Amino acid sequence: MLRPLYIALLELKLFLNNRAELAFSIALPTLLFALMYGALSSDSEVFTPASVVDLDGGPQARELVQRLDSLSAVKVEGRTEAEAEAALDRSAILFAVVIPAGFSAALEAGEPAPLVFRQRGNGGDTGQIVAAIVRGIARDMASDGRVRVQTQRALAGSGVSPERIDAEAQAQMAAMRASPPVVVKLRRPSEDPAAESGDGLFTQLLPGLIVMFVMFSVTLAAQALVEERRTGTLERLMTTRLSVNQLFAGKFLSGMMRAMFQTLVMLSLAFVVFQPGSLLAFVELLAFALLAAAAFTGVSLVIGAVARTRNQAAWAAVFFTLLMVIFSGTFFEIVDGSLMHSISRATINAYAIDAMQNIIGRGEHLGQQWLEMAVMVGVAAVALTLARLLFRITPEGR
Amino acid sequence: MVDPPEFLVASNLYKSFGGLKAVNGVSFGIRKQEIFGLLGPNGAGKTTTIRMLSTVLSPDDGDVVIGGHSVSRESDAVRRLVGVCPQELALYPELSATDNLVFFGRMAGLSGREAKTAAAEHLESVGLTERARDKVDKFSGGMKRRVNLAVALMTRPQLLFLDEPTVGIDPQSRSHIFDTVEGLRDDGMTVLYTTHYMEEADRICDRLAIMDHGQLICLGRPSELKAKFGDPEEVTLETVFLELTGRSLRD
Repeated sequence: MLRPLYIALLELKLFLNNRAELAFSIALPTLLFALMYGALSSDSEVFTPASVVDLDGGPQARELVQRLDSLSAVKVEGRTEAEAEAALDRSAILFAVVIPAGFSAALEAGEPAPLVFRQRGNGGDTGQIVAAIVRGIARDMASDGRVRVQTQRALAGSGVSPERIDAEAQAQMAAMRASPPVVVKLRRPSEDPAAESGDGLFTQLLPGLIVMFVMFSVTLAAQALVEERRTGTLERLMTTRLSVNQLFAGKFLSGMMRAMFQTLVMLSLAFVVFQPGSLLAFVELLAFALLAAAAFTGVSLVIGAVARTRNQAAWAAVFFTLLMVIFSGTFFEIVDGSLMHSISRATINAYAIDAMQNIIGRGEHLGQQWLEMAVMVGVAAVALTLARLLFRITPEGR
Repeated sequence: MVDPPEFLVASNLYKSFGGLKAVNGVSFGIRKQEIFGLLGPNGAGKTTTIRMLSTVLSPDDGDVVIGGHSVSRESDAVRRLVGVCPQELALYPELSATDNLVFFGRMAGLSGREAKTAAAEHLESVGLTERARDKVDKFSGGMKRRVNLAVALMTRPQLLFLDEPTVGIDPQSRSHIFDTVEGLRDDGMTVLYTTHYMEEADRICDRLAIMDHGQLICLGRPSELKAKFGDPEEVTLETVFLELTGRSLRD
């Protein structure tokens, strides 16, 4: 009865003795998580470059450029007309704003002012963003110009000097800009009280990373099984008093222990550093991870049973893992009802990630994840049955 | 002098893989406390035969009785009687010699204490006490072969299968293995020994059989086989082997 456990303990010992494998299974995912967390949650802004050709040179043109440049998300790149054309020709840029001569004069006269957008195709995402921003600024400036001209006309002959009228109108408009009717505030999930129960970056990334690396580790363990068949240790074990079922149970148990060890280390580290949930959530995550480990270990045994060489096992494991990671939406949101959503429902990862996100992010309990748990148990049962049917002790079969 | 009783009796063994008849009606017996050599060119069916004798493979037809137990019906009882030293170095290289022996000992049914005691004893018998705690990975080819043999001895088997135990090792290790095997025979163990080295078989085997194309083509004492082809003092076992199996390449 204890023989499967001895096999599992032996494999765990081999795993812990192998520094390269340990690094891959524990250090690498931890490092990757830290890098992704650091990169995606930092305060750094993304700048949108805006190529501007100022052929007018007047005060209104300078004002437009200055207002555009003052936006934190936009970085103005001044160009000559020739430079802009050349850059467009070689697709170095897809969009440029050209301020034609007469732009300032028209605005000051309260008349429609010309602006030219030079673009390749639709101007690209960046071009469309810049175009929308420039339109907004130009509209504001045109509105300012009209207000100024109309005020001048209305107060003409009132005895107030045109300079005074103009200065007053400018001051009023500047005050309006300083306190706009709509105020936009930036609030990140980490500053959001709702994030404690929900949608933080941490809860988005952590389950996916854990599932992906556990899957990598467990499915790559299939290589070890193939290697054991090649070196003859499996065959030698079958000359002891071990039965095939005990050997198989031992391999299954060792895959589970390996996955659980890895999950325990990653989750513990994450909980200590980021404190995303309660102790109960931690325990429930581990309990669910046990089921996920059973499912992935079952898959690894199928790979180990079918593959004839170590390379075959490695490629099958990598292909399977990538397929699951890509189609489960591990690193991006999948919209409900989309084709991708339907495809993702055919991956084990999607269910594993959903359950873990529900527990860690939405504060749900393990008992509410019955569908996800049923999927894990079902996959484990089918994979184990298949693997046992295909399992071979010697390269020729048994 | 009366021959001792047969400890192993193989009767009409057949085994095929797909369309290939790896073993095709092989029958022979191994007497208690003898070193029985099983020779043959590559692909002759020796390893498949040993796999059937050691319960790893089930014969398609025929049976083997070892110590009164059928391999097909009483495999667990048979496994208590046999030890297998495979051709491959079937060891865990990342583990120490002791850990390898203890692990396989426990799989064979020894308790933790028994396994540790047996491991120390057998590592001493193969001259590796000093290196007991070192990883097998760091061992020379000869030392690995000796650990491979020590694993097979862990349960003090009554019948030992040695599948080419001296491949790729230096003369000192080979000589050590010969001495160990002969000592085991003298202590009452029965040994089935396969090798490609004819002088080795001539030196160590009490009787031997030659297989080719899945069949047994001759069986007898080395001197009896050599006598079929001339003066046993002048004819070598290699001559006998080549006369019986031909000179064409098999790999």
